[in-house]
Amino acid sequence: MSHHPSPVLLGRRRFLEVAAAFGAVLAVPLDAAIARRGEVAESELTDWIFIDQAGTVTLGLCQPEVGQGSYTVLPSILAEELDADWPAVAVRWVMGRDAYKIQFRNEKPSQKEGASTSTTKLYARLRTAGAAARIMLVSAAATRWGVPPGQCETRDGWVHNRVTGEKLAYGTLAPDAAKLPVPSDPPLKDRSAFRLIGKSLPRRDTAAKTNGSAIFGLDVTLPDMLNAAIRIAPAIGGWLVAVRNEAEVLKQPGVRHILKLDDAVIAVADRYWQAQRAIDLLDVVFSAGENGHLSTALIDNLAEAGLEAEIGVPALSQGDALKIIGQHPDRVIESRFSVPHLAHAAMEPMNATVHVQKDRVDVWGSIQSTDATVTAVAKICGMHEDQVHLHVGFLGGSFGGKIVPAFVAQAARAAKALGRPVKLIRTREMDIQHDHFRPNNKGRLRAVLDAEGYPLAVHARVCGQSLFATTRPNWLTKTPLGDYDESMVDGLYQQTYAIPNFHVDVIQTPLPIPVYFMRSVGSSAGVLFWESFITDLAHHAGIDQYAYRRHLLRNYPAGLRVLDAAAQAAGWDRPAGPDIARGIAFNTYFGRGGSFVSECAEVVELKRVGDRWKVARVVCAMDAGLVVNHNTFNAQIQGGIGFALTSALKSEITFRDGAAEQSNFVDYPLLSIAEMPEIVPVIVESDRPPQGAGEIMVAPLAPAISQALLHATGRRPDRMPFRAEWFQARA
Amino acid sequence: MSVTFSLNGKPVTFDGPDDVPLLWAVREHFGLTGSKFGCGIGMCGACTMHLDGEAVRTCVMAVGHVRGRAVTTIEGLPTDETNPVHQAWNELDVPQCGYCQSGMIMATTSLLARNPNPTDQDIDQAITNLCRCATYIRIRAAIHAAARRA
Ligand code: FES
Ligand code: FES
Repeated sequence: MSHHPSPVLLGRRRFLEVAAAFGAVLAVPLDAAIARRGEVAESELTDWIFIDQAGTVTLGLCQPEVGQGSYTVLPSILAEELDADWPAVAVRWVMGRDAYKIQFRNEKPSQKEGASTSTTKLYARLRTAGAAARIMLVSAAATRWGVPPGQCETRDGWVHNRVTGEKLAYGTLAPDAAKLPVPSDPPLKDRSAFRLIGKSLPRRDTAAKTNGSAIFGLDVTLPDMLNAAIRIAPAIGGWLVAVRNEAEVLKQPGVRHILKLDDAVIAVADRYWQAQRAIDLLDVVFSAGENGHLSTALIDNLAEAGLEAEIGVPALSQGDALKIIGQHPDRVIESRFSVPHLAHAAMEPMNATVHVQKDRVDVWGSIQSTDATVTAVAKICGMHEDQVHLHVGFLGGSFGGKIVPAFVAQAARAAKALGRPVKLIRTREMDIQHDHFRPNNKGRLRAVLDAEGYPLAVHARVCGQSLFATTRPNWLTKTPLGDYDESMVDGLYQQTYAIPNFHVDVIQTPLPIPVYFMRSVGSSAGVLFWESFITDLAHHAGIDQYAYRRHLLRNYPAGLRVLDAAAQAAGWDRPAGPDIARGIAFNTYFGRGGSFVSECAEVVELKRVGDRWKVARVVCAMDAGLVVNHNTFNAQIQGGIGFALTSALKSEITFRDGAAEQSNFVDYPLLSIAEMPEIVPVIVESDRPPQGAGEIMVAPLAPAISQALLHATGRRPDRMPFRAEWFQARA
Repeated sequence: MSVTFSLNGKPVTFDGPDDVPLLWAVREHFGLTGSKFGCGIGMCGACTMHLDGEAVRTCVMAVGHVRGRAVTTIEGLPTDETNPVHQAWNELDVPQCGYCQSGMIMATTSLLARNPNPTDQDIDQAITNLCRCATYIRIRAAIHAAARRA
């Protein structure tokens, strides 16, 4: 077990150097305590637990706090097994070690946050680390007392001698404990002994987030720092042709530098407002490049053509679906659906602060992926990756949008040119218009029903831009008929409904549009298609929507339990009343690469208010395994449904002349408090370890709304966002 | 080219053009970063401060407009039991990412000063700030809780 590099008191400056060299760079203080602790020597117990002589237990956090609660939930898992004094622990950002990396599918392990995996992938690892450190502390105490370890017990940061009643603080024992080998397979607590896990702990960051002291990327301030604003070529793949009035703009007060990139111009000034003013003043000529013809009409036409193609690449082929459907043209029921590109629009616009020095680069900012950022910055600055030091503070939301480090790269270029720390802030317009978007998709679903009205054969065809082909070609699944992107058929190709003959196929329409993952990505389209189609089939068969889904789930008790829980909590059996219309939807969410399985069912209630139907209440039942923290889990349900409702009612990125047409909350509006429904969370208890939670509630919402609209108005929306007129109540 | 005003109870002087947005004057020149930049066009409320006690969106307010007047930011609000809004926000653990919350608290404080016991409809009308994390349920509950505490 390695010690802290230098077990003597280090000056702060020296500590920073040492800490940096060992990858334990201090964050922009996530916790005010950290700055003070830098002065005190620490003992390191595992990669995660650092205890100083003053007794402060500092827990390592490798997953950025984007709002999901990682800053509270992950350290609480360590603290549980460590028997630390939870209210007194400190938390700090850690990076650079293998222990902090997680693996997505076949990718090489890296440090990043995403795909609802923070708790899923780290739960066992953190418990093991906490338990191992606890055993080391117990051994150290037992040695001091000359008693067997079995005579010791731990509580709230102390080891107690059961016989003599003596006790020793973790801080006192840590230097000895750190010299002991780390047990590799320590016994873990029984669930019944948990004091933190499975409870409802308050968030650690609420005080800082309510008094203005929380430091987000936007708030990073460094000595000697300059500020930058950017204008990016509007068209995708467009480039910078000329800056006509550079000399004049450089004369403006505070303006230091105009940096021309291939596809953008950056103004650097003493203050951000001066930089932004310079950008506004600049007379810039951009070329639309090769995509000037790109428009939403073209994108739609391509996708529609794909829906008509003779064959697609099969993602699932079970039974004889195509044959049965071909044999019964008169019995085929068909529906079509469409979803647009979407922007993440986190409340904090993308920003980063970079300082390039001779032998190191420091990066601060609103950054969701650690390793990808380090790689990108190292390349730009011509440094080794271990010379790049990332300091992650709080993120003002991300939803997948701040994983792609394009904005950090822009800041790095400016910082490299200036030789001083530079903070680059994208305006909201730049943030939305130059996002990496959630891809578009269209679906065509066909079915032949059996004599009872249930699907005998289904053919689902999905066509749109492929996320994987654009961002991760090695994630494509190979078949004899070509490659397909499973994320395009999330919610379809892995089925928990009993469909005897089922064919799912995919057609990719290559587009130059930058795309990326966004909270529940593929499911937010696939589950809309699938559950809306099930709605149509049940409607056609004249069978109750809940009963229809129960029948389809008959072979999958885990899902049935959750569906029943939602229906029961919503009072599905009772008549809804004249001014209420209900819809129900279900989804089994399979984590990417089989990382988890979560179940979710939602019942939406529309309420007639005047001449409009309003989404008034959502019952959301979830089985996401053990709930580590009910407080943050509940917040995720509320927030996830609000996020899904925004997409269902409002969000759409369209393209014209090669550029995204939306750029701010005027044309890319967000849900308001007045539109937020009441939410009834129903946690279905489970023996399983924690499964993905943060994205699971998103997908079923839109199809549940669309079914409720069918009941309310006789029309079922077939594209997202649902237009306002679809909520018009009939007189 | 200078504007004197009161910032969280202390006189300050901004040396610069009158038309600089108050938000950036406060963030960059006076180092108070609790007020956030979300849209720059007055739509989201992340930049909300109080001007003579009234909530205003400062990304679209020229600093010259506040000459001689009193500006309060999130940092200027008390965080002890004398501030029921802050207490309620903490008790209900409202923030997720937290980025919008300074603005939400400023807007709520101003609402409660005008209307100590707002109905849900009053809240719908008065709180037009945006929260991408959709913490609205807890925000509404916290507004009611703060009204009860006051
Ligand atoms: S930043 Fe001022 S209203 Fe959005
Ligand atoms: S808490 Fe994240 S935007 Fe409101």
